[in-house]
Amino acid sequence: MSWEKEVEALRGRQRAAKEMGGPERVERQRAGGKLNVRERVEQLLDPGSFIEVGSIAGKSSYDEAGNLVSLTPASLVIGRGRIEGRNVVVAGDDFTIRGGTNEGSIRDKLTRVETMACDLRLPLIRLVDGSGGGGSAGMMDKDGHSRVPGVLGWNLVVANLNTVPVIGMALGSTAGLGSARVCASHYSIMVKETSQLFVAGPPVVNRLGAHQYEKNELGGSQIHTRNGAIDDEADSEADAFERARKFLSYLPPSVHALPPRAVTGDDPKRNVDWLIEAIPREDRKVYKMRPIVEALVDSGSFFEIGRHWGRGVITGFARLDGWPVAILASDPMHYGGAWTADASRKVSRFTQLAQLFHLPIVHLADIPGFLVGLDAEKTATIRHGVAALTAIQQTTVPWCAVIVRKAYGVAAAGHSNQSRYSVRYCWPSMRAGSLPLEGGIEAAFRKDIEAAPDPQAKIAELRERLQRLGSPFRTLEAFAYDEMIDPRETRALLCEFANLVAPLREPGPSSFGYFPI
Amino acid sequence: MKPVKVCTEVAGTVWKVVAAKGANLAAGDTILVMESMKMEIPVEAPRAGTLIELRVAEGDVLREDDVVAVIE
Repeated sequence: MSWEKEVEALRGRQRAAKEMGGPERVERQRAGGKLNVRERVEQLLDPGSFIEVGSIAGKSSYDEAGNLVSLTPASLVIGRGRIEGRNVVVAGDDFTIRGGTNEGSIRDKLTRVETMACDLRLPLIRLVDGSGGGGSAGMMDKDGHSRVPGVLGWNLVVANLNTVPVIGMALGSTAGLGSARVCASHYSIMVKETSQLFVAGPPVVNRLGAHQYEKNELGGSQIHTRNGAIDDEADSEADAFERARKFLSYLPPSVHALPPRAVTGDDPKRNVDWLIEAIPREDRKVYKMRPIVEALVDSGSFFEIGRHWGRGVITGFARLDGWPVAILASDPMHYGGAWTADASRKVSRFTQLAQLFHLPIVHLADIPGFLVGLDAEKTATIRHGVAALTAIQQTTVPWCAVIVRKAYGVAAAGHSNQSRYSVRYCWPSMRAGSLPLEGGIEAAFRKDIEAAPDPQAKIAELRERLQRLGSPFRTLEAFAYDEMIDPRETRALLCEFANLVAPLREPGPSSFGYFPI
Repeated sequence: MKPVKVCTEVAGTVWKVVAAKGANLAAGDTILVMESMKMEIPVEAPRAGTLIELRVAEGDVLREDDVVAVIE
């Protein structure tokens, strides 16, 4: 009356499945500088926490007596486990089996794991290594017909983008549906040298032209973390897992919960004395924003996202008195902090992310406007900028803006959410207007200047007059802006903001859909 | 270590060359200053090394990602 024999049969199949594609292919994976899917799952999750689903799913063959002869596991390992004690769902491609392609029986695993994350309301981490599609020429030969691409399960992928944190990691050569699964996420990571992202890889592309691409040349991280297809690059798979764990630490498990507060031990009232001289008095001189961000937030809590693209804007998560917040900050080292088309896309993406997971937004703004010039026009800067301003105005999460220096033009309207109450501060270094005086004077007073006996003298006279009017004190005296603060006391006020708005954060789906722009 | 090409992240005009060929640079040292969007934007050494090649001169008009120098 025991079922011991069946349990042993199950264990035997599970052991067989853990052999993956066999010793030779597993060794080839290792020699390529990559971990295998079992190692990845183990390193990503808290030790011993993985609970597999579909552990013996695959292609089995039996002899005539009904005995199992062989079991080739599905090329996707799925299940749940924990990160820092919090539950997550994981899906890892096994490249040692059919190159990680999702052909045959395992298509159901691909959709099952997306449903699991959505319905259990848990973060989903996709460890992608392969093309992941099912539409290969080999498949057509087997089926005897072609397929109309439907991207199986994309409805589930989209549902997850609006429900749970999704991390897409490219851990090898990813193409087609594989690369789409990486990008259809809230945070995407590539590993330098050992991972690539393609619409189609060198075997396809190299047939089209004279140039023969090497895979990193065509789709390495140096391309895709600069164009924004991927958020960040990691030095190793271990580094990528660490980033994934850190990213999730600021977020709730789903939109139905609130992001957790942590104990950081940093004094919320701490003054930052050097900030009184952080901004150069000379307009032409730039400064570094990252040290300012790091000095303002809880010590060591700033987690930057997308460092290498849309570089006029710095985005990332941080903590203020333990509360997780989204940080937007200008980087004057890149076009003076002007919003390029890419920077605008980055603002759109990041603002939506903060909105989705209920993170209040702090914006340290120094925006001289949109980038101007022919390149800026060719990249449709104004269109992407409008998308960013729209994303900002649609947010319902609390905003706190600190204008640290410039606020010029339409782009600077994005310093805060003007559709509702935003907490608004400026530093004494604020200079604001619809156009900077340089160029702005010539545009606005063209007739006066042309009519003047000495046009240059007229420009100088106008500049002097308007410079006096440009004093931030006049702006504040007219209550055209809320409050000027001592830069040294900024952290205390940001922590006060985080505590003030924490009760206003509301769980639930966003009022608008997340768009992976 | 392989020589590293240093690129400008911004388009604009080379306003001032700060480091001379042969200079020993620490990571973060300014090699030259670009003028872009009416701002003086430094191009810095991505890591320590000797400046073995300076490919631009003051007044040159550059595009984004143009190589300005090589460090070894």
